[in-house]
Amino acid sequence: MNHWIMAPLLVPLLAGVLNLLLVSRGPGLQRTISLVATIVMTAVAIHLMGMAAEDEIVIYQLGNWAAPFGIVLVLDRLSALLLLLTAIVGLFSLIYAANGDDRRGRDFHVLFQLQLLGINGAFLTGDLFNLFVFFEILLIASYGLALHGFGTKRTRASLHYVVLNLIGSSLFLIAVGTLYAVTGTLNMADLALKVAASAPEQTTLLRVSALLLLVVFGLKAALLPLHLWLPALYGNAIAPVAALFAIMTKVGVYAILRTYTLIFPADGAAPDVAGDWLLPLALLTLAVGAVGVLGSQRLRELIAYMVVVSVGTLLAGIGQFNVGGITAALYYLPHTTLVTAGLFLLADLIARQRGSVGDHFSLGAPLTQPTMLGVLFFLSAVAAAGMPPLSGFIGKLLLLKSVVPEQAAWLWGIVLTGSLAGLIALSRAGSRIFWKTEGERATAGRASPATIIPTALLLAMSVMMTLFAAPITRYAEATAIQLLSPQQYIGAVLSLEKLP
Amino acid sequence: MEAIASLTIAVLVACGVYLVLRARTFPVVLGLSLLSYAVNLFLFFTGRLVTGAPPLAGGSAPTADPIPQALVLTAIVIGFGMTAFVMILALRARGELGNDHVDGRGGKS
Amino acid sequence: MNLILIILLPILGALLPPLAIRFGRSASAWTAAAVTIAALMLTLAPLTAVFNHTPVEAYWTWLPQAGLDIQLRMDGLAALFVLLILGIGLLVILYARYYLSESDPMGRFYGMLLLFMGAMLGIALSDHLIQLLIFWELTSLSSFLLISYWHHRTDARRGARMALAITGAGGLAMLAGFLLLGHIVGSYQISVILNAGDLIRAHPLYTPTLLLILAGAFTKSAQFPFHFWLPHAMAAPTPVSAYLHSATMVKAGVFMLARLYPALSGTELWFFVVGGTGLITLLFAAYTALFKHDLKGLLAYSTISHLGLITLLFGIGTPLAAVAGVFHIINHAIFKASLFMAAGIIDHETGTRDMRLINGMWKYLPHTATLAMVAAGSMAGVPLLNGFLSKEMFFAETLYLKELGSFSWLLPAAATLAGVFAVAYSARFIHDVFFNGEPVNLPKYPPHEPPRYMKIPVEILVALCLLVGILPGVTVAPILALAAGSVLNGPVPDYSLAIWHGFNTPFMMSLVALAGGITLYSQRQRLFDLRDRVFPMPDARALFWHAIEWVMEAAHKATALLENGSQQRYAALLLLSAVGAIALPFLSGEAALTGTLPLTPIDGITLLGALVMMMSALTVVLWQRRRLAAVIALSVVGLVVSLSFVRWSAPDLALTQLSVEVVTIVLLLLALFFLPQQGMAESSPLRRGRDLLLALCAGGGVGLITWGMLTRPYETIAGYYMENSLPGGGGANVVNVILVDFRGFDTLGEITVLAIAAIGIYALLDKLHLEMPATDQNGRRWAEERHPVILAQITRFLLPLALLVSVYLFLRGHNAPGGGFIAGLVSAVALILQYMASGIDWMQERWRVQYHPVIASGVLIAASTGAGSWLFDHPYLTTAFGHFHLPLAGEFELATAMLFDLGVYLTVVGVVMLILANLGKLTQRCADNRETV
Repeated sequence: MNHWIMAPLLVPLLAGVLNLLLVSRGPGLQRTISLVATIVMTAVAIHLMGMAAEDEIVIYQLGNWAAPFGIVLVLDRLSALLLLLTAIVGLFSLIYAANGDDRRGRDFHVLFQLQLLGINGAFLTGDLFNLFVFFEILLIASYGLALHGFGTKRTRASLHYVVLNLIGSSLFLIAVGTLYAVTGTLNMADLALKVAASAPEQTTLLRVSALLLLVVFGLKAALLPLHLWLPALYGNAIAPVAALFAIMTKVGVYAILRTYTLIFPADGAAPDVAGDWLLPLALLTLAVGAVGVLGSQRLRELIAYMVVVSVGTLLAGIGQFNVGGITAALYYLPHTTLVTAGLFLLADLIARQRGSVGDHFSLGAPLTQPTMLGVLFFLSAVAAAGMPPLSGFIGKLLLLKSVVPEQAAWLWGIVLTGSLAGLIALSRAGSRIFWKTEGERATAGRASPATIIPTALLLAMSVMMTLFAAPITRYAEATAIQLLSPQQYIGAVLSLEKLP
Repeated sequence: MEAIASLTIAVLVACGVYLVLRARTFPVVLGLSLLSYAVNLFLFFTGRLVTGAPPLAGGSAPTADPIPQALVLTAIVIGFGMTAFVMILALRARGELGNDHVDGRGGKS
Repeated sequence: MNLILIILLPILGALLPPLAIRFGRSASAWTAAAVTIAALMLTLAPLTAVFNHTPVEAYWTWLPQAGLDIQLRMDGLAALFVLLILGIGLLVILYARYYLSESDPMGRFYGMLLLFMGAMLGIALSDHLIQLLIFWELTSLSSFLLISYWHHRTDARRGARMALAITGAGGLAMLAGFLLLGHIVGSYQISVILNAGDLIRAHPLYTPTLLLILAGAFTKSAQFPFHFWLPHAMAAPTPVSAYLHSATMVKAGVFMLARLYPALSGTELWFFVVGGTGLITLLFAAYTALFKHDLKGLLAYSTISHLGLITLLFGIGTPLAAVAGVFHIINHAIFKASLFMAAGIIDHETGTRDMRLINGMWKYLPHTATLAMVAAGSMAGVPLLNGFLSKEMFFAETLYLKELGSFSWLLPAAATLAGVFAVAYSARFIHDVFFNGEPVNLPKYPPHEPPRYMKIPVEILVALCLLVGILPGVTVAPILALAAGSVLNGPVPDYSLAIWHGFNTPFMMSLVALAGGITLYSQRQRLFDLRDRVFPMPDARALFWHAIEWVMEAAHKATALLENGSQQRYAALLLLSAVGAIALPFLSGEAALTGTLPLTPIDGITLLGALVMMMSALTVVLWQRRRLAAVIALSVVGLVVSLSFVRWSAPDLALTQLSVEVVTIVLLLLALFFLPQQGMAESSPLRRGRDLLLALCAGGGVGLITWGMLTRPYETIAGYYMENSLPGGGGANVVNVILVDFRGFDTLGEITVLAIAAIGIYALLDKLHLEMPATDQNGRRWAEERHPVILAQITRFLLPLALLVSVYLFLRGHNAPGGGFIAGLVSAVALILQYMASGIDWMQERWRVQYHPVIASGVLIAASTGAGSWLFDHPYLTTAFGHFHLPLAGEFELATAMLFDLGVYLTVVGVVMLILANLGKLTQRCADNRETV
């Protein structure tokens, strides 16, 4: 009986509840608890990844009820990868937040930990309705975090985000309900079997739920035309929250990847999404995101649109539902998450040193630490734009190579043009912020090492991902193979007996 | 009876959707509550329409499907939390934006 | 092994100069020089091998999944470029030491220069397409940084961005081309690809492949129409212009042509695209150079024109032309680098580059002048100088061309014309700068010779011009033969590098060019007027920036148009997608919607209930602006919902729904207190129509799904729960057992959601200030008596009763409808009633409870109950139960599940109280504010 799988859920839950008890005592002790919890989470995530890397799929039967009757947690390569990614992004965002942003509201650390709980749960659960519950946890926590610090723009963006996601939750329930009404089960592995074995007269309802789920997950992942809430929200949330949110869209991406490889594969009873819809929508998202990048007038806004672009890129890889495409996506996913998270933090550091201009691309005073921040920005821009030699380029390369050139025109055209747009926009941004300055240096003090270090480390990840590209890609490839042969998953979940 | 059930849900959803699309926060909240009523009913009906057989164990007679009921219970609770949150958020939004328009458009109100 | 060190040394060495700068500028320069010299030393071993006709190779695997390996190879062509890069690099480093002023950050300069050097060496030595592309883009990046070296200057910033945009775009195109090439051949290894020429040329993808790769080459080598970035790259310090933008980086494009020559050349397409582009560039740029008053501008356009010449040579496609191309790469690198350095000296000493001001420098800088004039002569193609030789070969090649048929005369003519222009602008360079009267008010006067060491690089290069020009056989022949050999990937045709071939046609052409050039220059004044009057050139730079600005503006507008910050639009899009998702299968599916299940009969009461529900739902919509009424109508809907739960055998749901209903309505009413009581009509009829349509579609859609599923039979796993509820979960109320046992994890999550919601709401209410209306919507003042006595009395009497009920509900929950959640709500409602009846102050005196800890402990209890099972090494949330007897209440079961349920109870109470009590406090606060006002 391996209880480690519970740690990514119980550790943040415990930390969150403890912080709740201390809420009136100010951030001091809460910080310690949060940091310790997140470090533990990272360690556990590394351990779990080690387990998953041995290609065994670990099942945990909550309440000692065997699937499909009880809720099971499933740890496979994909969920392990995302757990680790979440822990890393969470840790660095937290360290950054501990420099004062967490004082702008009394319950930051409570919400932060429970946010992590929701995300980890979504990655681990093997039950569709339980996935809904964890979505709600991560959403309600994200509402609180998005509002953290308040202010007009933040409140407006959050209001939109909340209302949209409440509608989304209703749609989620309708989809799950429809699925249950046809199959009479909720466990994903069992659903996969039941859907595959479903009678032809059931296909209509099955397709409805498959498509509705795409709408729900698409809203989370910011898939066109459901991406419109993102730029305002990410562009205005406080930096560490925006950094943490870099992982949020990936929850939607994860759900899409899981659902349409396991329950609704392209050769199954409801092939619409995997077969027809995902790839074109992904490419459109990429294109629209690139336009947004070009049109941005603030650095944070630009990065937010980079997130949209990355979602398009990821789903363009996933949308092919072949080993090459998913491998590319799974290499690109950690890269883009870490780099955008780092960029959000960096943008904050920059804005603080530019006085009233903030992160706007208009004429401003020179920065206090132009060299340090300049080098960081240059590296992250190279990584984000997908220029050689950093990880962004490798990810794009894998993606481009995953399609046979004969049918590549669209994908290559859009991906490469998108890169060019990023290149132009980022070079403009850098030139405007670091070079085209006037007047005296802003009086703002130098950034404390405790804010620079997490930022730099997040961005350094891109370099690491370049150096260790081979092992990472190997892991991603194995993950893709595991996902594309769901029998292993189904077998592992359904064959395990409960303890006496 | 199935027809009536479907019609009821249809009406609730329609009303909810229409209200959700309004420009002021309060109708939107009303719409969301209507939507959650509709969804809870829908989820409940996934167990089909069973009369007078609550799912109590021990009896031999077939009873209503307990799973949807359990799901609806969870959904109701979560729905309550969400409705409460968005309602108060609407208050906050009025405080921050000066009026109760969903985009904070227009003057004070 | 050496090969990779040759590349890594400069790249890693790039860190040294910035560090060394603290020991002085010379130290910084010397480290840079040292790194370069070390790299040169490393090349010796491979070079000797290459000169013995055995190419040196070094392979490592890096990322097989992406077909990315480290593959290096030094053959003749690579060797030639390595020598150029390192040799000229060394001279530039020496030169820059004296060129840069005290105020320039020299460490950064040398760092970036070395970075570029490494990248460029990488291009030369790569034997792998993708790897080559990586270095290719690195040169673009480092050139971006070097052009913007003086980034306080607008022209530097813009020039840099332009260069990056153009070459970057080319690089991306080339990446696509390389991927295609790799796909065709099945390998990215260049040495493999070079031997697959026939396969490539025959492949259907040949055309796109070639064009994409050429796009990369042409942008990098500033071929028309991508040429315009190069003149603006001249904003860079002159050493950079000499190194990157004449000698090496811009040669990368023609290097690609040479590198892939065996694989891609030899087709009509190649001839016309490459040759044509080269020819146009050659003429156009040579012509434009004539009119540049800026010294570096002239040299820039001359560079473009010479690159065009080289491109044309490779385009012609004959082996001899290729040889000439390679030869001219060498010669141009040598004389153009020296010219740029000379120009830099003049700029440095006079403070300007405008040839209308700089005149008669002969008097002031005789030494520099001599050097410059020799180099310029070579640029013009004067005999006894290296430029002459390759130009002769070029002329010769243009003569024996068959492809153009009856237009064969065209090419020689054009070549001669280009020669004329070249001579003319060279003449201008010499005459305007060094003679032509006296200087016109120079910023620095009088100019004098630069420091000794600043001239040494120029002297060396000029010496080379002469040596190669006079003794080609002993100087350049071996490396040329070697390089040409690897370009042709086969036998090199015999050619003679003699400086005298007799009075043949090429020589005639040279004479014509010389004579014509001189004449043209003497008539320049007329020419200038003519040009200004007849065809003024469009300014490509302005066009580019207009394009960029337009694109960015358009992108911004488009984005703003789409993402207009209107929630109504976003919601509409979401719902529209949902409707689509529902409609699509119904429209396209062939399966019947209605299932086989027999319909259940309709009874009056249910029908009535349904009607009431629909009516009140509609009422909510119709009365949405009379908000109080709308809330009442909403509550009716909720009521009927709970009734329908009763109707279809779900007592638990009914109870839950009912209690939630009460709390929700209280909440809405309290909230409504702070919102306008009256809504106003907002939307246009059109908008309302759209929403109505959307609403009907959505409703219809969900209705259809409901119908479809209600009429379908289905297999469910419910049976298992019915059987195992008692034996396994110790409870008869299956729903409750599912909630606390089978799917207890859902419940844990659910109370977590509640807890977070409460926290969030608490934060929302924190420091929130809203003015409370003094009257209700009809202008009536609120009742003066805040807390009616009777109500207060009754509720106080009710409180214990209600709490007892909740305890009862809680205990029986596991076997009969009830449970922690419902119990919690009942208690909460009872408490809330106290608040409402007796007021917050009264409560706060008697009921000092912080609700945060209550919530926390609730969740904690539930969570830790689950962990208890670890003691028995059972999974989380595994339950155990036993029986016990309670007086009065009777037989009960004590299940760990109940402890769990207790957590639920506490959380619910805490949450509801936290929300409502604080919302109530808000009314209090506002009321007080009002009274104080």
